This record gives sequence, structure tokens and C-alpha cells, in this order.
Amino acid sequence: MSARPRRPILPPLLMWLGFVFLYAPIVILIVYSFNESRLVTVWGGWSTKWYMELIQDQQMMDAAWRSLKIAFLTAWAAVVLGTMAGIVMVRCQRFRGRTLFSGMITAPLVMPDVIIGLSLLLLFVSMSKWIGWPEARGMVTIWIAHVTFCTAYVAVVVSSRLKDFDMSLEEAAMDLGADRLKTFLVITLPIISPALVAGWLLSFTLSLDDLVIASFVSGPSSTTLPMQVFSSVRLGVSPKINALATILVVLVSLAALLGWWLMRLEDKRMRRDMQLAARE
Amino acid sequence: MRTIAASIAARVPRFLREPRSLLIAVPYFWLFLFFAIPFLIVLKISFAEAQIAMPPFSSILEWTGEKLSINLNLGNFQFLFEDELYYTAYLNSIRIAFNATLLCLLIGYPMAYVIARMPPSRRNVFLMLVILPSWTSFLIRIYAWIGILKNEGLLNETLKTLGLIDAPLHILHTEAALYIGIVYAYLPFMVLPLYSNLVKLDPRLLEAATDLGARPWQAFLQVTLPLSRAGMLAGSMLVFIPAVGEFVIPELLGGAGTLMIGKVLWQEFFNNRDWPVASAVAIVMLLLLTIPIMLFHHYQARELEAR
Amino acid sequence: MGQDTQTRDSGATARTPDDRVEDARVENYLQVLGISKDFDNFRAVNEASFSIRKGEIFALLGASGCGKSTLLRVLAGFEVPTAGSIVLDGQDIAGLPPHRRPINMMFQSYALFPHMSVEKNIAFGLKQDGMARAEIADRVAGLLKLVRMTEYARRKPHQLSGGQQQRVALARSLAKGPKLLLLDEPMGALDRKLRGEMQLEVVDIIERLGVTCVMVTHDQDEAMTMAGRIAVMDQGRICQIGEPGDIYEQPASRFTAEFIGSVNILDGRIAEDYPDYVVIAGDALETPIYVGHGVTGFAEMSCAVAIRPEKMKLSHDEPAQKYNKARGIIQDIAYFGSHSTYYVRLPSGFVMRTILLNAQRWAAEEFTWNDDVWISWGDNSGVVLTS
Repeated sequence: MSARPRRPILPPLLMWLGFVFLYAPIVILIVYSFNESRLVTVWGGWSTKWYMELIQDQQMMDAAWRSLKIAFLTAWAAVVLGTMAGIVMVRCQRFRGRTLFSGMITAPLVMPDVIIGLSLLLLFVSMSKWIGWPEARGMVTIWIAHVTFCTAYVAVVVSSRLKDFDMSLEEAAMDLGADRLKTFLVITLPIISPALVAGWLLSFTLSLDDLVIASFVSGPSSTTLPMQVFSSVRLGVSPKINALATILVVLVSLAALLGWWLMRLEDKRMRRDMQLAARE
Repeated sequence: MRTIAASIAARVPRFLREPRSLLIAVPYFWLFLFFAIPFLIVLKISFAEAQIAMPPFSSILEWTGEKLSINLNLGNFQFLFEDELYYTAYLNSIRIAFNATLLCLLIGYPMAYVIARMPPSRRNVFLMLVILPSWTSFLIRIYAWIGILKNEGLLNETLKTLGLIDAPLHILHTEAALYIGIVYAYLPFMVLPLYSNLVKLDPRLLEAATDLGARPWQAFLQVTLPLSRAGMLAGSMLVFIPAVGEFVIPELLGGAGTLMIGKVLWQEFFNNRDWPVASAVAIVMLLLLTIPIMLFHHYQARELEAR
Repeated sequence: MGQDTQTRDSGATARTPDDRVEDARVENYLQVLGISKDFDNFRAVNEASFSIRKGEIFALLGASGCGKSTLLRVLAGFEVPTAGSIVLDGQDIAGLPPHRRPINMMFQSYALFPHMSVEKNIAFGLKQDGMARAEIADRVAGLLKLVRMTEYARRKPHQLSGGQQQRVALARSLAKGPKLLLLDEPMGALDRKLRGEMQLEVVDIIERLGVTCVMVTHDQDEAMTMAGRIAVMDQGRICQIGEPGDIYEQPASRFTAEFIGSVNILDGRIAEDYPDYVVIAGDALETPIYVGHGVTGFAEMSCAVAIRPEKMKLSHDEPAQKYNKARGIIQDIAYFGSHSTYYVRLPSGFVMRTILLNAQRWAAEEFTWNDDVWISWGDNSGVVLTS
């Protein structure tokens, strides 16, 4: 972008190759979801029959509905807990056990799923032996597991936003007569709300996507969508899964596009306003 | 005057402290109960013996009327070191995760670099293009590669049609497929921290370097690369640590010759129903990952606290 | 707002005991007594004491890190002092949290709430007091008029220029009619040109409302333009309090003399000590320095003399006076438009700064590089600094 005499060609080329690598499999999935033939390699003409079959697959639909419910409930709980944790990370620099606390925020981001899944299952089993709860594993245990690791993600998102927060805004509110709680609700929360929305969406998708942890902590009648997909994928390639993938990709892309468009609109408006203000 | 000041000092901190301790206590309690304690239980059960019961393991503490006996069974760990299967699985996992991390770095760095050098309005679009795939199902994206890589899959068929090969290339269920899968799934996790590091790099530093006579690639090697070390480290840890314990990718794309420890743990738990050995596998994996996790924590904590 | 603006001129009429109590309250409207603030073994403010008249504008002036901002934050209630007390209008406020203090602050960054319009920002404090909606609207309209921002009422902060943002911030901090207004580097975020206009405008508004005000600044011009009295701070301590002219003409310490304006400081010792004059001998000059005021000291005590550059005369011929002159060579000339500073090197190696107005320069003698010149100054130009 600077006034260099010669624009380097190699880095952008490598970047585009990276994008091809990222998107080619998804494009192929989508194209083949409309394939009449069951075989991946044979093009049998356009068809939407796999979509019909997917919709008629009661087990798949039940699992999808269950997953959506868990993801929805997870997102709310994780936003509440994660926001609290994020504030603690940025605002409470000193308290007993802080090292452990920040460790419990960063470790879930990288901890292999199998370890989280196994450890939580063993906790639930031990708890039901000692205190009789949870009696059986199911949606509640999956929800607890998902809230736990999503909280860490939300905490990171919120605290990185809070780090840039101008403390004098809170001081100004208190100076004008608002107490701590009111200041938080009326000033801090609205200003960091984009981070809360991002944290909510992130938690929702993470929960919707989790196979391994849910496999450990679920019970017999609480198969989630990824578990259902996994058991059918293990049996081989099925165009039905392609259809499901296409639906997911379309939904996610639409949501992302909408978000991007709104952000751009806001950004443009903001910049125009600032230019006008500067000119006056 | 001193007494007034003293009474203020005694009164005000409490007013500040009360909501604060509640704020800390709620997430602390949750994470401690559901993230920290479970590890202690895994540790405990790794010293138990497998039993055919529910739950399928013996208890470590036994109270026999008057005697409290502690039965620590070290057999699980001994077993891990004696059986070649576990030993190779650990080594395989670390080797594969390490190589995959390097590949991610090689592919991800140019992407992050180019995006960070774009004008701000275009940056967000491209950044979103990097993140977008990871919002769709992980499982399905790995599944997509089965269709591409298998013997009669899209890649082989295309190559055959082009006349480049006669017999299909065996890629699926080999290590190559594993690398493709891991790099594909974890690439965004490498690009994001690299990007956020590179975007903060002051372009004037590069201008200063070129002004002092460095060629562009020299400026890159001597200024950009060293300054992006923290981003490279964070990205690498974000790829390496979960990749070591990865289950889905070796299960779907790997084969018999490419056993990884996450899959071993899964099989030990679900197929053999040997919970104590599964726990021992997890404990050893955690010990191996302690240093990488601490490295990551160090970076992340600094990133979160730096103001 | 809502306060009567009785101030300085009440001294002439006959006094009653009640008047005297009232006078004391007006004279010591804000009393800061022995305030100290420690951060982790670091003393940011060290036993600061001062008192302010009602309606006065008082400036805390100092370099960054001198403790002036911490002292302001102690007044606002954001920092709990380690020791000391604060009495405002007869009430000890040191124990009150910020939201209960009858004090409002204008922040350096303005701290306008980005998600609220101009009128919502101004109404924020009134809403916290539970004021009726119609009354809030009235009050906000009045304030908007006062700061000439009526037509911008519905705008968001990012839609305003720097000067407009500052006016809104001022209106917001005045909205509740605070007993004390705090200004933290009020012009810090404005560019140089706007600063001069805004300084006078802000003072005008504050004086019209008769609000008592403490401001913090690192800019001596700003302090001198806006404040009635100035406290110079260094390393957590208040070095000197006085009106702008006093601080400039009669610096009490070497620090104040050097911090405010530019000055030549000559080290020496007292050679002759009389009640109404002293003669000081130093190594920098060949002749002793005669200062036309007495000092509390003794013969042979070491001290320093501060002489402002604009109080010196430059000439080619030797002046007739016996004291207070020095011979030298012009080493450097710095041109500032309205005036020029001449750096004159004395035989002792000391470099003396003198200022000539440029109008003068064209009229009288011309001086240029390497000229042999004489510097001289009057009996009352120097100030003896004993600390």
C-alpha cells in the first residue's frame, strides 16, 4: 500500500491459493448436494431429492432441533458467565486465586476435546454417586459442558473489547450521580454490546458444532446433530449430509453477510458524520 | 483529620468490594467446578482398576470398618509404557501435530500478512472470509475431504480424466490425508492471531528499514518476522495443542498406520470401556501438553491484561 | 446554577458577626487540608493544602507526573486519599463516593457517552437525581443555549468537532449546578488555534454562573489566562500558590522560577546583607549583583538570583551603573516573530538569555552574531531564591 516501486506478486498469490484451499471443498459439497446420483464421482443431473430425504429423516430432524435448543441456551448462559469473567480479567487485577482464574479462562481455548469430554463425564458420574445428581446424562449435562468451554471464548472476546474501553466514561457517569450498578447497566453494557453479540454468536456456533464433548456427556436419548451426522458419515459418504452441509453454509453465509453489511453501513455513516463534523 | 481519613479508608473499600466479590465468585465457581475439579477426578480414576460395574472402576479409598486403605493402582501407567500401541500413538500425535502446525504457519503467514497490509475497509471482508468456514460444521468440512480424497473420489477421477495417472493415488487413510485435514480445519486459528499481530505493526518501521537500505525481503526478515513472534507463537499453540488430541480427523481421514492418541483415548473409553486406562491416557497427554499450554497461557494472559 | 453570585466586592460595607461567619464560608469555600495519596510505596500527592474562595477559578499547574491529576481525582472521589480532609461549603466530603459529591468534572477526553445524543448526555446527571422530565428538558435547553449548541441537540458525540464536543462536556458538567467544577486539562484535546478562543469562552461561562472551579493543566499560558490563582506543583507537593503575576514576578523557589517562563539563574552567596538590599557575589559575573529587596538569610549564605530575560538591556557601550552588568559575546539569536532571544556568552562561560522586542530591534541599535555587547539590569529585576 505504500509507494513501493514494484508491487510484490508472490504474497497475494499465496493468499488466494489459501482461499482456494479453504473454499474448494465447501463448493464441491454444495454442488454435489444437488447431484441426482448417490455416487460422489458420477454426475447424475440436478436434483433436490437429497433435501427431501434429509427433511424426512426424523432422527436427523430431532437431533437438529435438540442441538439448536442446546446451542440457544448455551449461548445465553455463556454470555452471562463469560461477560462476568471478562470483566474480572480486565478490571480485577489482584485477588486471591487470580492465576488459577486466568488459567481456567485460557486453557479451555486449546484443551483437546477428548480431555474435556472425558473429565466432565467422570465428574458427572462421580457427582451422581456422591450427591445423586445428575441422575441421568442428557441435555442438561451437554448444556453444562458447552457453557463451560463457551464461557472461556466469550470472556476472551469481552475482555479484548473492555481493554479498549475508556475508563473515564464510567467515571463521568459516576461523577454525574450514577452508582456502580447503574453505570454498568447504562454506560458500560451498551458500549461493549457488540462484543456480547459476537460472544453469543460464537457460543451458539461452537455449541452447535461440538461432537466430541457431547459424545462423552450425553445420555442414550440425547443424540445431537453432530453425533447423528458422525454416525452416518462413518458408514460412508451420503449426499444427504451434503444437503445438510449446504443448508448450514447458506445460513451461516447469510448471517455473516448481513452482519458485514450492517457493520459497513454503520461504519460508512460514522465516517461521513465525522467528516461533516470536522468540516464545520 | 487522621481519624477521619482512617474511617474513610475502612468504609470505602467495603463498598467497592461487595459487588466485586460476587462478580468474581460466580464464574470462578462455575469454572472451578466444571473445569478444574474434573481434572482431579481424571487423575484419581487413572489410579483405579477397571471393573465390570457401573461406574466401571474400583474406588481408591476404602473404609473397612477400622482401616482406611488407599489403593493406588499404577498398572494403567505401566501399561501405557509397556504397550507399543500407546507409545507410538503419542509420538505419532506429537509429530503429526508439529508438522501440521508448521504447514499452517507456512500457508497462514502469507494470508495474514497480505490481509494486514490491505486498506482497512477491505481487511474486514477478507478476515471474514478466513473465519467463515470455521462457522460451518467442523465435522462436515472434514467429511468433504473424504469425497475428494478417496480412491474413486473427485481428485483421483479428475487426475485420471486429465490422463495424469493410471492407477488411483492412495491418499485417504494415509498421513497425507491427516495433514490435509488438520491444516484445513485449523488454518483460521493460525491466521487470526497472526493477523491481529501483524496489523499492529507500524508500517513506518518497514519504511525506516528500506530507508536505511534494506531490500524488501531483508526488511521482512529483520523487522516483520521478529516482531510477529508473539503472533506466530499464539497461532502455533492454537493449532498444535488441539491437534495433538484430535479425534475426528484421524477417525475419518486417518488409517490403521496413523494412530493418534485422541482416537486411542476414544476407543479405550467407548469400545473397551476401560475408564481407568482412558484416564491414564488423558493424564499423560496433559503432562505432555503442559509446556505448550503454559506458553499459550502466558501469551494470552499478556494479551488480555496489556492495556 | 441557582447560586447567587456574591463575591469579592462585599468587603466595603459595615460588618456584623453573621457577616463574618458568612465571609469565612465564602473565603474558605473549598478547604483541602493535608491531602496525601500513596500508590504502592509511591507518594503521588504529598500533604497538599489550599483553600479557595467561592466563585474563584483555581489552577493546579505542573509537569506530567507531578500529582496534579491525582489531586483532582481525589477531589472528584475517584481516588481515596491516604490522609487529609476535604471540606466543601462547610461539609466534609472526603468520605463520599463520587456519585454523592456535589462536584462535577469535565474530563480531558470529554468522556461523552458515545451512544447518547448531546441532549441525553447533558440530561444524564439530572436524570440520576430523579428530576421531572419537563424540568430536565427546560434545564437542558438553557444549557444548550448557554454553550451555543442548541441546533446540535440531537447529534451524537462523533458528529461533533472537537470544540463542540468540549462545549457539550462543559454543559454536562454544569447541568447539576455543582458546588465545585473540576476541569482536567480542559484544552488538552484541542489544537493550538482553537485553544485561545475556547479558554476565554469557558472562563466567561464559568464566571457568568459564578461556579467555583479547580482546573488542572500543564500549560502555563492556559493557567495564566484562565485562573485567578495558580498552585504550582512538583513531585506531589504544592511549591507556591499565588496570582499569575506574583508567581511570575516573585517565584518562591528555583523550581517555580524555571517552570514558569524562561529565566537566567545565577548561583552565588550573600556578600552584603542589609534590611532593604543585598549584594550577591557569584562566579558567573565579574561584578556583584545588587538586589533591591531584603532576604531572610545571613552573610555568606549560598543562594541564587533569578532574572527574567525580558528585564535585561543589551547595549554596545558599557552602562554607567556600578552593579548588575556583564560583558559578553552574542553566541546565538533565536527569532520568534514578536521578539528575539539573544544568547550572550560571558567570559566565565555562562550563557545569559536576553529578550528584545523586534519593534525595538529595528528602531535602536542592531545586534548580530559575535558582537561584543553589555548586558545590564535594574536593582529590582532580580529575585533572590534561597530554596
